Amino acid sequence: MAEMWITMGPQHPMTHGLWTLRVKVDGETVTDTEAELGYIHRGVEKICESRDFTQITPYCDRLCYVSAMTWAHAYIMAAEDLLEAEVPERAEYIRLMAAELQRIASHLMWLGAFGPDIGNLTLMTWCLRDREMFLDLLQELGGSRMHYNYPRVGGVKRDIPIGWADRLKAKVKLFEHRINEYEMLLDESTIWLVRLQGVGYATAEDQLNAGVTGPNIRAAGVNTDVRWTNPYSVYDQVDWEPAVEKPTSVKGADCYDRYRVRMEEMRQSCRMLLDAIGKIPGGHNTHYSPGDEMIQSKAPTRAPEGATGTSTYECTRGVSQFYVQGGGDGRGKYPYRLSIRSPMFITIPYVAKTMIGYKVADIPAIMGSFDPCIGETDR
Amino acid sequence: MGMTISKEQNTTAVSAVVKSLSDRFGDAGITAEAIAHKSGKCFDFVRIICLPDQWRAVAKWLHSEANVNHCSMITGTHFPEGTTERGWEVAIHLHRWPIVNVEPHTMTVHDASKLSGNDVPLEIEVFVPIQSGDSPSIPSVQDLWVGADWNEKETWDLVGIDFDGHINMHRVLNPHDSPIGFHPLQRQHKIRYHDFNEMYDDPQGFGRKPVDEGRVK
Repeated sequence: MAEMWITMGPQHPMTHGLWTLRVKVDGETVTDTEAELGYIHRGVEKICESRDFTQITPYCDRLCYVSAMTWAHAYIMAAEDLLEAEVPERAEYIRLMAAELQRIASHLMWLGAFGPDIGNLTLMTWCLRDREMFLDLLQELGGSRMHYNYPRVGGVKRDIPIGWADRLKAKVKLFEHRINEYEMLLDESTIWLVRLQGVGYATAEDQLNAGVTGPNIRAAGVNTDVRWTNPYSVYDQVDWEPAVEKPTSVKGADCYDRYRVRMEEMRQSCRMLLDAIGKIPGGHNTHYSPGDEMIQSKAPTRAPEGATGTSTYECTRGVSQFYVQGGGDGRGKYPYRLSIRSPMFITIPYVAKTMIGYKVADIPAIMGSFDPCIGETDR
Repeated sequence: MGMTISKEQNTTAVSAVVKSLSDRFGDAGITAEAIAHKSGKCFDFVRIICLPDQWRAVAKWLHSEANVNHCSMITGTHFPEGTTERGWEVAIHLHRWPIVNVEPHTMTVHDASKLSGNDVPLEIEVFVPIQSGDSPSIPSVQDLWVGADWNEKETWDLVGIDFDGHINMHRVLNPHDSPIGFHPLQRQHKIRYHDFNEMYDDPQGFGRKPVDEGRVK
């Protein structure tokens, strides 16, 4: 039968954003693929060359609207490396909790968007309902629902409000039960299992060589996680362990393993949150005013020429990395160059190639299981 | 308690790689040193500085001998006012993580405190200064790490540094029909309000004019 190219996207329910997947098909079988990106390239790296180190934070929030807090945190860590800023421990705890709340919210958004891909519309409404709890908590910290602009060089913008800890505990405990509900819904759904099991295999070594990281690689049976391999923040002081899934085939993890590992990761985030809120230095029912040395230390605002800063960060979709060079315009007030490593930018071309050999109907399942986000991909 | 790599493991692994790199490539003028991060846990990483024609050999050594299995990020920088030796620079960030394929229905759960030798996670930063000129290029490492593929495409697309031996180079973030030679992160391209503080210098925006006003777009 003659082969032909089909263009899926840029407007397609499978794409979760604006990008194009060109698929070469032979009947129903995918024989070749090509990813095309760049539809929403905003030039963030160029814009950042004329913004000072605090002004860059909102731009990094907007890299990924589903996971704003982790991206801002990753950037701030690179800026702190460049500016040699110390961070008070209380601020590190607050950042950790904010990042883990964001991780849960991001995974919920992923699950909610993944469900309709597979044919389970209930999931969207359930996940958005629960995500609201975490957005409310984050809103109390940052003041807005999606783009918080919350971390600062040397700390955080403001302290946790009075009563936030109680609301956090109640919501996290409720959500731990809700995860069980999700699993009861999904793991006993024939449609869910049939469409996810046995498609989209990817081994750990292949994925790492191709630059695929994060939950996708932990689904293939290794517990490598930047939070312990390249430690940052106070992850060594709170109770958690990396989520891992046992793959069922020598061919590596399938879509079902990637779903399982994200569910487990949400549980681990809950565990971390409950532990961190009890250990936070200064107590969880105190409130320090903005700029207090408990939550933000003094940091220089200019970086000399030749200084560089990097951060390696476990973002919700994989390892994100920032690289900042000092000595830009305004006598070092702006960075000379800021570079962003987006996990999804590297992952999407790899995922496009893993689809070869499967059916056209498997494309949404495979693509969705890797959790694509186009905002961070195109930058 | 969450487990973590200890400072001693990190220092030992970094100094081992620095030492063997210096033994192997020190005569060729390649420098490798242990640098500490300046915030957070202040862990060490390896910083290598080599020339473009040495990069391929260093990359091969890192890939096969030091077990560096992840090419994280490749970045180019343009220094129009830099020296002749450093008119451009490529910064490459690599990682080593203990990752192996597992048998079905099993998993590898590393205990951080028991890792040693080539299993200890490692972060590597490579600077490759390139002579100033109109056609900067360095060798490609696309065949060693598949992850370098789109990183190199992006660096060429945005900064204009070419990668010799890179197969299927094309635009990834800019439009596919961008003019040849247009690479927006080169310093001669200014964003419209560059050096102009909209918020404070001209709050009402009366004096605002794009720097490329009057030119055909």
